[in-house]
Amino acid sequence: MIRSLHAPLISALGLLAALLNGCATLGSGDSSRLDLVKQRGELICGVSGKIPGFSFLKGDGKYEGLDVDICRAMAAAFIGDPNKIQFRPLTAPERFTALRSGEIDLLSRNTTHTLSRDAVGGNGLSFAPVVFHDGQGLMVKKDSGISSINDLGGKAICVGSGTTTEQNLNDAFESLKLPYTPIKYQDLNQVVGGYTQGRCVAMTSDRSQLAAARSGFADPEEHVILDDRLSKEPLAPAVVGGDQPMADAMSWVVYVLIEAEERGITQDNLDEVVKQATADPSQAALRRFLGIDGGLGSKLELPDDFVVQVIRATGNYGEIYDRHLGAGSKVEIPRGANRLSRDGGLMIAPPFT
Amino acid sequence: MQRVDRGRLRTALRRLRARPLDGLVSGGLILLIGWVIFSSLHWLLTAADWSVVSVNMPLYAVGSYPIDQRWRPLLWMVLLLLLTGWTLFGPRRGWLRRTLPALWMAMVPLGVVLLAGGLGLMPVGSRNWGGLTLTLLLTVGSGVLALPLGVLLALGRQSPLPVLRYSSGAYIETMRAVPLIAVLFFGQLLIPLFLPMGFEINRVLRAVIAFALFAGAYIAEDVRGGLQAIPPTQLEAAAVLGLSPLQSLQLIVLPQALRIALPALTNQAVGLLQNTSLMAILGLVELLGISRSLLANPEFIGRYLEVYVWLAAVYWLICTAMALLARHLEIQLDPIRSTSSFNNT
Repeated sequence: MIRSLHAPLISALGLLAALLNGCATLGSGDSSRLDLVKQRGELICGVSGKIPGFSFLKGDGKYEGLDVDICRAMAAAFIGDPNKIQFRPLTAPERFTALRSGEIDLLSRNTTHTLSRDAVGGNGLSFAPVVFHDGQGLMVKKDSGISSINDLGGKAICVGSGTTTEQNLNDAFESLKLPYTPIKYQDLNQVVGGYTQGRCVAMTSDRSQLAAARSGFADPEEHVILDDRLSKEPLAPAVVGGDQPMADAMSWVVYVLIEAEERGITQDNLDEVVKQATADPSQAALRRFLGIDGGLGSKLELPDDFVVQVIRATGNYGEIYDRHLGAGSKVEIPRGANRLSRDGGLMIAPPFT
Repeated sequence: MQRVDRGRLRTALRRLRARPLDGLVSGGLILLIGWVIFSSLHWLLTAADWSVVSVNMPLYAVGSYPIDQRWRPLLWMVLLLLLTGWTLFGPRRGWLRRTLPALWMAMVPLGVVLLAGGLGLMPVGSRNWGGLTLTLLLTVGSGVLALPLGVLLALGRQSPLPVLRYSSGAYIETMRAVPLIAVLFFGQLLIPLFLPMGFEINRVLRAVIAFALFAGAYIAEDVRGGLQAIPPTQLEAAAVLGLSPLQSLQLIVLPQALRIALPALTNQAVGLLQNTSLMAILGLVELLGISRSLLANPEFIGRYLEVYVWLAAVYWLICTAMALLARHLEIQLDPIRSTSSFNNT
């Protein structure tokens, strides 16, 4: 009796297990996500799609922005074509689910690198190097004569209430032992409204958001974002943890962008530099970087010329930054901490050896 | 004509003289309304910058659908528009009128095939669907699934079998006790976690199913209202005539119950259309989602008012069309007002 009941049950379970197993190997399983991407010939990249300067939709239905260019650099390195890419617009709550469920290969969506997102006990992600050091900033009118947070003592500052923004503002002024008057609003649009109506001398939010808000003003050039930084928000691309080939490949693509800027290699002079390096065997480090010698690419399971592909697709980090957030763009954010380390910023690439 | 007008004017003036306070209030109101109309028109025509709408019209219509394939969603929407126009303003009789229900039914599979590809068309993933097309597809798709579900649940709730009765009741009560956004979050965020790695149910399909499951519970209650309006004597009469329970359901109960429930069902359909905008916060680029993506474009930053006024106009148009269609259906199904349908059959 028991036997007759169990036999079909066990076989059904076995069938289910086989099915699930089949599905699992179809996804990541033991093999790296990198292999899957190469095999598919297409990178699925999760972006926000709603952040000016980082990712937004253009009139022709294509995405553009700093986060988007990072995706394009990845696709150029992994597949050899920056256009073999699908962008998946994601909201903040669903981004990690989309990554864990395998709906996307890579997340490039203004995500702050934190311990709990990195750790196995938290979201268990692997982060690439930081591609944008964001942080809470302060915006004032140019003619107000305010040049740093120290000039804001006793002044009114517009801030969103009940957020970490408000907390950080309080902490900063407390540590400077300066008095100030917070003017609190429910959301960012109201903060902007309060600031433009002159209820406060300064407004505070993440610097990228300040820049975006400013570009919507009638007189954007009349406002400046101060250099002071009230919090650190290092934004970095991420993949699912425990997949070293994928995480390494992603990290080193970001390093390529930084190293290329350090070496002064741009989209325009790339062919020239490659030609020179090929002809001149004495430039060992450059030849290694460009993949002429050394086979660095194959150590990452990427083509040896992946550096050339990346620079050709998007240019170096500085070019990407200038395109979307630089002086000529509509969302202008002073480069600040995002300068190269030799210029006093935080951007640095380890040696390509 | 003119004399009548003059007479009216004279009466109005006489009344005004008799009650100066009323006149003051009326005058104030007229001024206020005039000011509102003037300032809105002034904004609409001079202050507003409509480039954010005109430049991005294709995106509002079809989202980031591949440019060389855009004719497919456009064709579907044009067909929907033609069908709506034909239903509302076409001739009242004839074979074309009789094929209309079938044509409407065919629009859903046709839309899916046109959008997704297959049958010789280039396949296009649902991640490229967007804009008005996606809004309509979500509405129509979930409506088509929710209606039979709702009818079955309503019948189940009235069933003499206790298991069926209680489980239908439990389902309806549970679904109505959960906010829609929670159901949608469950569908979009939790379902993928339960599934094995790499096994993926299409995001749009997940949304359609979540909407259908939710709307089904409400439709069930609307249909139950219709069912209860039918006097039990009709069922007894049907039994006397020798109709089986299934036949009496099919021929007597459901046609009448659905007709009675129609106004409430229209309500549900309009609600469903508007609820699809909730998917914007879950990452689908339907009409509202695509607008928010466009507003992040540095070229159009700060053009909130224009975009939302435009969206309101689009939603209003679709809802009005739906309401007109439903009104039309009510007249068609009314046995007194359209006796011709009996003659035809």
